[in-house]
Amino acid sequence: MVLFALIISIAFGTLGRRRPVDRVKYALWCFVWFLVVAVAIGWVMYPFSH
Amino acid sequence: MTETNQSTGGEPAVVESSAPTSSREPLALAIGFAGWLLPGLGHALQKMWGRALIVFLAVASLVTIGAGMRGNVFNSGGADAFDKLGFVADLGTGSLYFLAIALEPSGPDVSRADGDYGTRFLATAGVLNLLAALHAYEAARGRKA
Repeated sequence: MVLFALIISIAFGTLGRRRPVDRVKYALWCFVWFLVVAVAIGWVMYPFSH
Repeated sequence: MTETNQSTGGEPAVVESSAPTSSREPLALAIGFAGWLLPGLGHALQKMWGRALIVFLAVASLVTIGAGMRGNVFNSGGADAFDKLGFVADLGTGSLYFLAIALEPSGPDVSRADGDYGTRFLATAGVLNLLAALHAYEAARGRKA
């Protein structure tokens, strides 16, 4: 999941922004949100696994 | 024709020019097609080297990891709508679709979680490449990118 988020975030950052600094910021922002949302969805689904 | 501007410190930025969009359309379509066929080629043809490299590496690594995890590479003979959608997503990787098939000589194995994750990696690679090809097409049309 972390590897997946990392690869996609780098691609999003490169495609979505022009300046190198903006690319890094956007990639980091995407990466963090990928992980946060994935863990949150995992916890939301947790009660249904029992 | 497309103009570039390097004043921002990053890669050449495509800015809107006064040339009519319709005159650039065939070239833009060809660039979009090239970007789909080989990930990153659409950007490379416009001298956006950084974007070309990142798109190629991202799509190729997703395909390699997905195939290595023995994810499902869908074919055109899908039984239901999800299989057909999966085929469209996988086909988005262009020529790397055949690389994914070649990397899985023993076929997919989705009985384990690894195979299921691999299927997602492969589908994401295709959709990401379609997004990149669309980005290259828009840049070639002269839209800001």
